[in-house]
Amino acid sequence: MLDVADLVTAYGKIEALKGVSLHVGKGQITCLLGPNGAGKTTLMMTIAGILKPRRGSIRLEGTELVGLSPARIVANGVALVPENRLVFPQMDVRENLLAGAYQRRDKREIAADVERMYARFPHLAERRDQLAGTLSGGEQQMLAVARALMSRPRLLLMDEPSLGLAPLVVAEIFRIIAELNRDGTSVFLVEQNAHMALQVAHHFYLVEQGRVTFDGSPGALAEDEVIQRAYLGTRRTGA
Amino acid sequence: MIDFAQNTLDGVMAGSSYALLALGFTLIFGVMRRLNLSFGPSIMVGAYLGTFLYVQYGAPSLVVALVAVAGAALAGIYVERLCFAPMAAGAGVASMVSSFAIWMQLEQAAILILPRHTYAFPPLSTAAPLALGPLLVRPDHLIVLACTAVLTAAISVLIYRTRYGLGLRAIINDTVAAHLVGVDVKKSLIVAFALASAIGGVAGYLVLAVDQQVTPMFGMWATIKGLIAMMIGGLGSIPGAVVGGLVLGIVEMHSQWHFGPQIRDLVAYGLLFACLVLRPGGLFGAPPAGETMIEK
Amino acid sequence: MDDYLVSVLSNIGVISFLALSAYLLLLTGEISFGQQAFFAIGAYAAGIATALWGWPLAAGLLLGALAAAAAAVLVGLPTLRLRGLYFAIATLAFAEAVRILLELFHYQAMVDGEPVGPTGADGFRGIRYIFESDVSPFQFMLVIWAILAATLVGFFLLGRSRLGVVLRMIGEDRVLAALQGVAVARCKVLAAALAGAVAGLGGGLFAHMTTYIEPRMFDIMLGVHALAYGIIGGLGTALGPLLGVLIDIGLLESVRWFAAYRMIVFGGLVALLLIVRPRGLLDEKAVHYIRQAGKKIVRTAAARLSISDRTTG
Repeated sequence: MLDVADLVTAYGKIEALKGVSLHVGKGQITCLLGPNGAGKTTLMMTIAGILKPRRGSIRLEGTELVGLSPARIVANGVALVPENRLVFPQMDVRENLLAGAYQRRDKREIAADVERMYARFPHLAERRDQLAGTLSGGEQQMLAVARALMSRPRLLLMDEPSLGLAPLVVAEIFRIIAELNRDGTSVFLVEQNAHMALQVAHHFYLVEQGRVTFDGSPGALAEDEVIQRAYLGTRRTGA
Repeated sequence: MIDFAQNTLDGVMAGSSYALLALGFTLIFGVMRRLNLSFGPSIMVGAYLGTFLYVQYGAPSLVVALVAVAGAALAGIYVERLCFAPMAAGAGVASMVSSFAIWMQLEQAAILILPRHTYAFPPLSTAAPLALGPLLVRPDHLIVLACTAVLTAAISVLIYRTRYGLGLRAIINDTVAAHLVGVDVKKSLIVAFALASAIGGVAGYLVLAVDQQVTPMFGMWATIKGLIAMMIGGLGSIPGAVVGGLVLGIVEMHSQWHFGPQIRDLVAYGLLFACLVLRPGGLFGAPPAGETMIEK
Repeated sequence: MDDYLVSVLSNIGVISFLALSAYLLLLTGEISFGQQAFFAIGAYAAGIATALWGWPLAAGLLLGALAAAAAAVLVGLPTLRLRGLYFAIATLAFAEAVRILLELFHYQAMVDGEPVGPTGADGFRGIRYIFESDVSPFQFMLVIWAILAATLVGFFLLGRSRLGVVLRMIGEDRVLAALQGVAVARCKVLAAALAGAVAGLGGGLFAHMTTYIEPRMFDIMLGVHALAYGIIGGLGTALGPLLGVLIDIGLLESVRWFAAYRMIVFGGLVALLLIVRPRGLLDEKAVHYIRQAGKKIVRTAAARLSISDRTTG
């Protein structure tokens, strides 16, 4: 689905990504783990076209994304649910969803999709006329996911969707991620919550200080001692 | 009593052109969160191009109007490209000073085109005033009022009912997120600047056609009147721009009638100062974010 | 030195006070469009003191500075809560109001059988102190630059003092400053008063340099220029505003032959400069670099000296 090769992104002289290569499988959920400051958000922002890489390539089913504007990348079928959600606070829920479909012109289908989102996220349906800035953190996260889905992405990028949310809400988010994936959307997920990620993801990467340091299946991840200690702790939570 | 009514009516007429200026101003500020001091001078340059055609070739009013509006829009794009687009986040002061430098540049360019201090501007209508009961209304004022109403409605529809407006509001809310949903931010901003300057161009044309003369000082006049009306009404608010313009026009007209032009300006600035101190968000805007107890 | 050069240099010196005044507020994070009002108040007060009341120049200048500082406190208090554009426009409204009030201001006295004093929009003629005291324009230029140098020394001392640090803190993040125990409100009023005094001092010198002032001189154009000088010259040091004035007045005066196009060229150059350096030529980075380079030169020179000491000794 997505092939990232030797990607280098820098802020001034500091390289946040120092040659990252990874692969996101079609129809799969791929999860990227890593500590704060490892370059996870930088990678997501680079794939989405907000940051320009210094070197390397990002191919979506063969199409080079590097050099395209964020708008073109959305049009190519990649949508990012950004870290901290970034909903449009002064616009109501419905307008946020419509904004998510900005690259589409099929008015009738857009309206139908809005209804589909309300069906999938009943909380949003209840608050459709409320300003997004007044929603709770969990509701904003749902809105950010729904907004991204409005562009009908083939690949959904999610940057720490569980950040700062209550455990019940986190479980709900992961349920939705699994559901979306069953419906055919490929997902590339950045997470710190490895327990939850282990329940849904098909493949894992670990990135540290701008480099990929682990690449393997959930089984391999669970067996890696270093990762176990750093990300899973003792496994008594029964995850 | 009739004087009071007549003054109020004249104030509404004068205020409607302020409202148009404030509308253009507030559109730029709402989108950029930065002050474009070159807003008035962009309008003035458009008006000067129109005047040039009128003075040199006797161009008809419609051509003068079109050139004035198109010239203002082009000057607006020039300002956006030079003073706003290349500036990093957090360099708002640099943008403002840069737009001031371009103000000086545009003013000198206008003087190069037409070096005399004042030039005649083709009138909008020279018909006799209409009687409205005991009150008198100038026909050209009515045209200004109608243009203001139509343009305000059109801009409201554009911002709140169209795909372009949705994208623009997304940019105002969160620029990064606007990029992420696929809004072409760069193009939208250029269009917003051109549009705002074009609205200003219409306002400029109307004011000059009522006054029937133009000077290079018009740029400064337009920037200041638009700024005052915008600040009274509330930054970034469309109804605020309209009400701010009307309030300014009415207050100015009454104080001019009672006390003359100097006190008129004094009252206008006093009103602005009082509005800012007592209600910093303006009549319609939200109070500025980040209000704390620190300075209480 | 020829008269023309003297007049240009005097002008640069006097306007520098106004630029420094705007710069001081910029340090605390405030943009003022209204420092020209304090310049005007200083000019009128100092002019009235020497021309109408027969005060000596020093007393007149002091009165001008004090009057301007008092006015700055008066306008500083209600605008304390305002920030950013709101503060900028409030100062603009105040300054324009002051200008209009000066247009309405009539106050005359008979001096040597002739009426002298402000006559509204027609201005204030006959501030002839330096001529009557046989001070040549060249000497007065030296006076201006001496006071400017003293003011600059004051700025550098302020920069190293606790108050200077506090003002920069407020400019960077006033909430953080408050959390650190800084009395933000008091410091901001103090900064406004100081800025007002500096502008007022410059205004007093300006009035005596030109001998004639009128309200129109103190319009918003002057205020925006004052603000622009600091940002063009650089916000890293108090020399930045000076450099800005020098570039504007000095450079423009020296290229009079293309006077008709100079604002077209100069305006464009300023816009381009700000793209590359949004905090001016002498921004914090440049100042830091120059300081480091200076230290390095001193260090290598000292090292060489000590080596030569050893070899000769």
